[in-house]
Amino acid sequence: MKLEVVRARAERFGGIVEVARPRALLHVDRQMMRELGQPESPLWDSPAEPDAPLVAPTEVHVVLSRRCSAGCRGCYVDATPHGAALSLEEACRILDELAAMGVFHVALGGGEALELDHLFEVAAHARKVGITPNLTTSGLGLTQDLAERSRVFGQINVSVDGVGEAYRRARGFDGFSRAERALRFLRAVKKEVGVNCVVSRTSFDGLSDVARLVRRLRLNELELLRFKPVGRGARVDEELTPDQARRIYPLARRLMLRHRIRVKLDCSFAPMVFWHRPSARAAAFWGVQGCVAGDVLAAVAPEGHLMGCSFAGPPEADARVPGAVRAAWPEGFSSFRGFIRSAPEPCASCEYLRLCRGGCRAVAGAHGEPSAPDPGCPRVQEWKARSPVDGEGRRPAGSFALPVVRG
Amino acid sequence: MPSRKGRVLRATFGCNPNSSSLGVDVTFLLFGATFAGALALLLGALLRRPRVP
Repeated sequence: MKLEVVRARAERFGGIVEVARPRALLHVDRQMMRELGQPESPLWDSPAEPDAPLVAPTEVHVVLSRRCSAGCRGCYVDATPHGAALSLEEACRILDELAAMGVFHVALGGGEALELDHLFEVAAHARKVGITPNLTTSGLGLTQDLAERSRVFGQINVSVDGVGEAYRRARGFDGFSRAERALRFLRAVKKEVGVNCVVSRTSFDGLSDVARLVRRLRLNELELLRFKPVGRGARVDEELTPDQARRIYPLARRLMLRHRIRVKLDCSFAPMVFWHRPSARAAAFWGVQGCVAGDVLAAVAPEGHLMGCSFAGPPEADARVPGAVRAAWPEGFSSFRGFIRSAPEPCASCEYLRLCRGGCRAVAGAHGEPSAPDPGCPRVQEWKARSPVDGEGRRPAGSFALPVVRG
Repeated sequence: MPSRKGRVLRATFGCNPNSSSLGVDVTFLLFGATFAGALALLLGALLRRPRVP
């Protein structure tokens, strides 16, 4: 067996190579790039800085629209039936620029991407320029015909925040049977089909049922996404309790072992994982990281805004303008990239700082201060409980005690 | 002295369809640093392996 390199790009540390079977992105050092016959890069002329961002994101979330008729009560993009959308021409031009920068994957979503007439043309264009298009969908309007056309995508995940009645409680309407039907249609035509489950205070106790569904339908992954109080989500009180935050990582391991399925936690769960003190070396090798916005990840909003991630700004450029993404990338995203250098306590003294990066900036921002440590982190909560408060209710410099900002 | 061989520094498997980046693959994190080190060597060897005509 030989791992065939599909694409490669140079980085300061060496480079990133994409292999197709198994589908993977491998970070390799400069020597390995040379051994693989890759051309010498000027990036290798000076020593690699340890915390320097990548020369381009490896994946970009393209929010094709804020258009969706489902009306989920916690929708983080505040989607409506007539929300803004990128046109086909705009989306294709953005993909052209991302491809020229060396982006490997795009995550196409919304809103509900399947409600856009040109979704499949956008996906085909991504393939044409060498980017793997992946898709998140509610699956509510997915037909057998659309499932057949979905072969163009890499990974497709259907949003299922609970099974049966739990779905209705989480999303505010009864859509489970349609989501399950979509999973069956998709699984009939391809293997790379999984479930996205937003883990909220309400959905937490139903995760085992969702894992069982993933097993029963022979899906390839269950991705657990932390509820973030942004968009319409800012108006519902669904953030995890401190006890749930401590239990999510052990629970994910149990689900994986009991149901023999692949389980992933999104980057915003990193503080909850590192609180359990996993091997830092193993975590670094497997790419386990907290906020990678403006580094591994970027996002494009339907209005064209280039952002660090879909949940948090500020807009760095108008991605619809030719050359704007490439121009903004090297020096932008300071609100995300600067956290390690200026981290307040208790992050500053945390041994996992370089991996965790202070947790989720979007959640911290929703609590009033994007540059503060993630208030959902168990270590942060313990530190706050120990820290003295002065007579005016303030904590020492570098600390925080912030109210949730409800939109 | 033989030159040092190139190394695989990080591996992420699969594709991420989500708005937030793939953060923790619980499946792989269960295995410790020793396994990760061994896999890095294996992946490096498989990358270098000559193509069979």
